[in-house]
Amino acid sequence: MSWESSRVIRMLGLPANFNARRVALQASFWAVMLILLSTILLNFINISATDQLSAYDDDWNDMSAFREDIKSMGIETRSLVSSPLLLADIEDPRNTTYVLAGVERDTLSLPQFDDDGFITIASGNGYSPSEINAIVEFVEAGGTAMVFEDYGYANTIAEAFGIRYTGEQVFDTTYATELDYNYIWMCIQNNPCGMNGTQLDPSTLSSHERWAQVGGPGEHPCSKLDEQTFGPGEAMLCEQHMINGRVDYNGTYQVLLNNITGLEIIPGVRGPLSEVAIRALTSNEATVDVNGDGEIWVGNEITPETPDRWGQFNLSIEVCARASCSPSDGGRIMFVSDGSALINAMYDYEGFNEGKYGPTDKMMPANDNRKWALDFIAEALMSELIDEVGEPAENAMVIFDESRHPQSALAADSYNTVYFLLVYFTGEGLAMLLLFLILFITFEAVLIKKRDPEPWRHVFSIIYYGFGDANRYAYYSKVEKIRQVFLSKVRNQNGLNREEFQAMQANELVSMISDPVLSKFAVESSNKYTLEQTVALVKRIKAWGRQ
Amino acid sequence: MWTRKAAFTFTGGIALVLIGMMISNQQMMILGLTLIAFIVVNSWISGHGDVEVQRTLSADNLYKGDDLYVELLVTNRSNRKTQMLDIYDNIPHEMKLRSGLNQMQLNLKPGESARIRYVLRCPLRGHYSIGPVSLRARNTFNLGVEEMYVDHHSDIVIFPQIKDIEEAFLRSRTPKMYTGATTLRTPGQGSEFYSLREYVPGDPFKNINWKAFARTGDLMVNEKCRDAVTDLYLILDSRDLARIGTVLKNPLEMGTVSAASLAAFFLKRRDSVALAIYDEKLAYLPPDTGDKQYFKILSALAGVRPKGTMPLQAVTNSLSGRFSRGSPVFIISSCEGDGTVPAAVRDLVGRGHEVTVLSPSSVDFERLVSRIPRMSYEVLKLERQNRLTTLAGSGAQVIDWMPDMDLSQALMQVRGY
Repeated sequence: MSWESSRVIRMLGLPANFNARRVALQASFWAVMLILLSTILLNFINISATDQLSAYDDDWNDMSAFREDIKSMGIETRSLVSSPLLLADIEDPRNTTYVLAGVERDTLSLPQFDDDGFITIASGNGYSPSEINAIVEFVEAGGTAMVFEDYGYANTIAEAFGIRYTGEQVFDTTYATELDYNYIWMCIQNNPCGMNGTQLDPSTLSSHERWAQVGGPGEHPCSKLDEQTFGPGEAMLCEQHMINGRVDYNGTYQVLLNNITGLEIIPGVRGPLSEVAIRALTSNEATVDVNGDGEIWVGNEITPETPDRWGQFNLSIEVCARASCSPSDGGRIMFVSDGSALINAMYDYEGFNEGKYGPTDKMMPANDNRKWALDFIAEALMSELIDEVGEPAENAMVIFDESRHPQSALAADSYNTVYFLLVYFTGEGLAMLLLFLILFITFEAVLIKKRDPEPWRHVFSIIYYGFGDANRYAYYSKVEKIRQVFLSKVRNQNGLNREEFQAMQANELVSMISDPVLSKFAVESSNKYTLEQTVALVKRIKAWGRQ
Repeated sequence: MWTRKAAFTFTGGIALVLIGMMISNQQMMILGLTLIAFIVVNSWISGHGDVEVQRTLSADNLYKGDDLYVELLVTNRSNRKTQMLDIYDNIPHEMKLRSGLNQMQLNLKPGESARIRYVLRCPLRGHYSIGPVSLRARNTFNLGVEEMYVDHHSDIVIFPQIKDIEEAFLRSRTPKMYTGATTLRTPGQGSEFYSLREYVPGDPFKNINWKAFARTGDLMVNEKCRDAVTDLYLILDSRDLARIGTVLKNPLEMGTVSAASLAAFFLKRRDSVALAIYDEKLAYLPPDTGDKQYFKILSALAGVRPKGTMPLQAVTNSLSGRFSRGSPVFIISSCEGDGTVPAAVRDLVGRGHEVTVLSPSSVDFERLVSRIPRMSYEVLKLERQNRLTTLAGSGAQVIDWMPDMDLSQALMQVRGY
């Protein structure tokens, strides 16, 4: 190769498709999308300054002490931050206990299938129908649930089992006088307990209807270890009954509640579990502030002057698959009319009084909240094997529902919301259909829209160019144009200019042409010629003048 | 940018995770997460296009139909391997790749170089630019692609082709009269004696030197000096109508070839050649001799594009005063769509110029790209015939140049009208 000339230029690579305007446009688009998305999400994300009732926080109004006790018993604890739909995935419901304390916010209103197979949008019910179904199915499958609620959104769960939270504050004479009338004593027994002055009257105290029946079908498993001696930490699930190295089972429970509401059995409604048992009641002198004005005006009848109610109200109801309520016989769910029954301040009253959960000027009275809650857990999760009495079952697990607790941080609440959506789309029938559709469309979009860069190939392409003017062809086949061309030929052949030619007489033109057919064609003004005649004329004109 | 494979892998991963969650299948979720993780990890391992490029051309100026040799030297100047790097030298689509390839897939180590060689054929005159060099960096599994370019261009000019033409039909009959005319000491048609040479068959008998024949016994002929330098004026029609036909065969292309060939011929004879190109405006190159004028004319012809509707008479009115008296004038035009052509020719002839109209037959060029009805074609041809007859009647020599006719062959029919 002979190089006649050469040029050398050196440059470095640059982005091929960098377009500032396009980048700016895309940035604007995504910014608008982000703002829109944030606006939508902010409707769902409820950031609260007072996060409470969480098993994973250790404030006085959280439930960390309860969770720590469960862990120390060797039971696995988990939180559920998205949706109870995940309960459907529990492998061993029998050895799982679901704890729900305070449903402080509503569910996201998303479309879903209802029981009749129609599409519905859950709204204002705390839990969606699918989530309630998941809880019901969990319990039906042998799971144990504890629902602590007062004025929140747990009513839909209760109603699924034929129970209702009244949502009105209940006052009772059996309150903790060292505190105030909002702190009510709940005695887990058949008959209500009463007061003797400022203290509970010991003569009115009894024991748990079921657990304390030694040898009965509902006997508490810790009672089997009664009077047995154990080393520190060896009593496992019955550690709460250890006194001086010995299990001293006591079936009496005085549970302290705060700002309680009432529980009602819905007449005529039969839930999935047949046995409904009232575990605790108020005294006969309890009142309900129906209109919520902070004053109690009661009479024999409810009138505008006496709008409030009085009498005996349910504080705890247990719904079981069998009358024995034994976990081995099927699932069960316990409703308590106070969402804060297990908060650190009351559950771990000793620690609270010592200032473990922050300084306080209020002294909590001794109560059996811890004993009762841990006994409930022990009954649910203790191993049924003879040589493992007192020990948790192999798969024992307690799940705390944190999905309805507002978070104080945007990230935490967003995470919960996103997790909720994920569970919704993978657990709810309609959403799964929708997700399948989205996945299908996404695959199609990828298939159609996503293109690999075209392989580079040099294309030599000049042969396809061309230019012509087809519009004039019709004009050149008209008789008038043919006559004009012929007369120009005659004029040129005879060396005449236009003026001379136009001045000629017709007979002169005829003699000049000396062809009768063409002469007639030249002189005549008629344009009525057939196609064949026109073709013949053009041939004749072409030949004319050659001789 | 992700490739289709990457998009599929990622979407598949997401789908597997979600479906795995739906049906509580951990294996499926793990597989989905593996696919997503594979994409994420792979996106960290990308190639680069940090290379230097040098392009070397065999010539900056070529004639139409010539071959251009191109060499591209690519050097990795970074301290990383390029991985899969596609190199593509962008060449004008009017150029044909004759041998070699203008692209290559490389994986250059740091400091390593590679050469890409290819040969281009240039079938169309014009001003062209080779470049930029496109780069496409791919990562190992071809999951990500990044495109870049090296903004390096090489400009080249493709001149019209030069054809051999017959001298006999182009000689000026009028000697140059203005100051500066020189007698060329070269053999040719003239009056002054130049030399004696041996007779070759075809030499006219009147040139035989009988005295020399008597003295030597061999037939000898007298050779004369060329006694004039001709000023040749080329007027090229570059109106929009001149593009009728195909890109390779149209009145303008043939016109540029004929103008370049005539200019080359006369400049080689040391005559002066002027060039006027008219389209939407008039471009005029005054008469001059030598290689510089030759290059100017070829460059001007290389850049001609069909446009505008300027009439020929406007050109002759503007330039005829500057034409040397009696100089030959070549009008290269299809003479179509311009009613001023006869008047313009008549005017030039009247001024004593020997006018030759080289007229590419636009009707026949149009036939190459368009199906003209037979009768319309015949009438169009008749009209064209009339037009050329009128020009011949005005005193011009008219050449009806058909598309399949060689230039020298066309020039042979100069006295046909």
